[in-house]
Amino acid sequence: MDLLFDSVSSAFILLLSFDRELLEIVLVSLNVSFAATIIASVIGIPSGFLIAHSTFAGKRIVLTMLNTLLALPTVVIGLLVYSFVSRRAILGPLDLLYTQKAIVIGQVILIIPVITTLTIAAISRLDQRYRMTALTLGANRVQMAVVIMKEAKYGICAAVIAAFGRVIAEVGISMMLGGNVKGFTRTMTTAMALEYDKGEFVLAVALGITLMTFALVINALFHFFQGRTHSESV
Amino acid sequence: MNLYELNNVTRTHGDRTVLNIDSLSIIPGKIYSLIGPNGAGKTSLLKLLSFLDVPTGGTINFMGRPVVFSDRNLYSFRRDVVLLDQNPIMFSGSVWSNIEFGLKVRKVSSAARKKRIEEVLELVGMERFAHYEAQGLSGGETKRVALARALVLEPKVLLCDEPTANVDNENQEIILEIIKKVNRVDDRSIIFSTHYLSQWQRLADHTLLLQNGALSDLVNENIFKVTVTGRSAGEMICQFSGQTYMSLPSHLLPDGVVRAKIHVDPFRVACLFDAENPGDGNILTGHIVELSQQSGNVRLLVDAGIKLGVYLVMAKYHHLRPGIGDRVRLHIPHEAVTFTYR
Repeated sequence: MDLLFDSVSSAFILLLSFDRELLEIVLVSLNVSFAATIIASVIGIPSGFLIAHSTFAGKRIVLTMLNTLLALPTVVIGLLVYSFVSRRAILGPLDLLYTQKAIVIGQVILIIPVITTLTIAAISRLDQRYRMTALTLGANRVQMAVVIMKEAKYGICAAVIAAFGRVIAEVGISMMLGGNVKGFTRTMTTAMALEYDKGEFVLAVALGITLMTFALVINALFHFFQGRTHSESV
Repeated sequence: MNLYELNNVTRTHGDRTVLNIDSLSIIPGKIYSLIGPNGAGKTSLLKLLSFLDVPTGGTINFMGRPVVFSDRNLYSFRRDVVLLDQNPIMFSGSVWSNIEFGLKVRKVSSAARKKRIEEVLELVGMERFAHYEAQGLSGGETKRVALARALVLEPKVLLCDEPTANVDNENQEIILEIIKKVNRVDDRSIIFSTHYLSQWQRLADHTLLLQNGALSDLVNENIFKVTVTGRSAGEMICQFSGQTYMSLPSHLLPDGVVRAKIHVDPFRVACLFDAENPGDGNILTGHIVELSQQSGNVRLLVDAGIKLGVYLVMAKYHHLRPGIGDRVRLHIPHEAVTFTYR
């Protein structure tokens, strides 16, 4: 009990003193998570829109595959990307292994299915009359797509936030592809794992508190947007 | 030149044929009403006419041009036609931005947009709602804004699916007046669907009757002149020519109206071949004088003092096998009756 109390109180002191090492770790985490979320959104949102709006043979199979990919373990992605970026692999000359870029690549693979499936859900839930109304008022396909995106914006925002929540809390990819290099690829989760291994809990608990605070903010945002989505589909 | 020319147009959903129109010509500048029971294909036809749907077979010409059902081509045809949905949906944003949408996609200049939106808001009487959140409007207001959103585009054809469905009487009258005005003043062609012969019927230059997806020429069936001979306690007695009477709820006609036209919806009249008691409504007894097949139904013409057309679905006809001269009781529920009067 004393251990927990001591760790938490020391962690708060560390947080309030804006410890440089802690800030550095948080910044690395935010950096890779934002980059991964932005790239995955650029790919996932249009893909989700196209899949939701087109009818093609094998659409069900694509949806099943995407849903299966939601459960993809981070260590599997870590292994997969490692096999491409390790020194002797096909992308070895690019020197990506143990860089933030490698983490970003892995995380993008992790959350593309999240953003795509949630975008599909948000657009499929939307009233068909939006599409019909845009078309009858003279919109072309692109203008119609803009209308759909606009009306589904809360659902799509919720998809992006859920994806961000997934990457900021993952550890497998960051550890395997980032290598936990201090000041470069040490993220909140990998740092916590390391501190735990060392038996030093103060930094780990401080990072845990920071991570939980992020999780709280992300969840609050997610529920806010989800709520808006439900009221918009009524 | 005709506005629309449809030839052998069909539309199927899986095995079900929802539309099967041999030939239909629509003249520009007129008001057409499209009537028929639920599921007759009214909305399907309006979707084809508004180029939002593609027929399974047949040809459509619009203003002399054959319609090729490709994405790019339909987009250019849609610029001349607007469909007003039965339950219109507003985009998120203000009333103003909703009305502005169609003008923006047409790249109308901002000054011209402002002028046209102000004019159309005045036309539908919604000026003070211009900056309201459009999705917060009531049903009647939404319909008026949707009408403004359509009219601001100055389409050659305005298609309205059940323009008065789910709208209170006051808003119905307003919408009716606006539609009349845009037809008479701007010479715009209007095609609207409606359930019954109602006051809307007065408005139409032509009426199209759809039954089971096909056009029928029985538009004027079951319309009779009646005289109100007495009113008491919520009831009124209507006398048809001769000695046929019906007792109907008096709210169907305003006080003081004595002569009117009545329409009896042939699809809502039930034939009773035994002594069953169907509840509210009028019962007339008569003899079958004519039997014919009409788009999957059997039409019975019954002489019950007045000659009433009624329909039996094929399965029921096979079960009952009525013949010419058979005596039949007709149950006419109050909902089957609509009045027109001047």
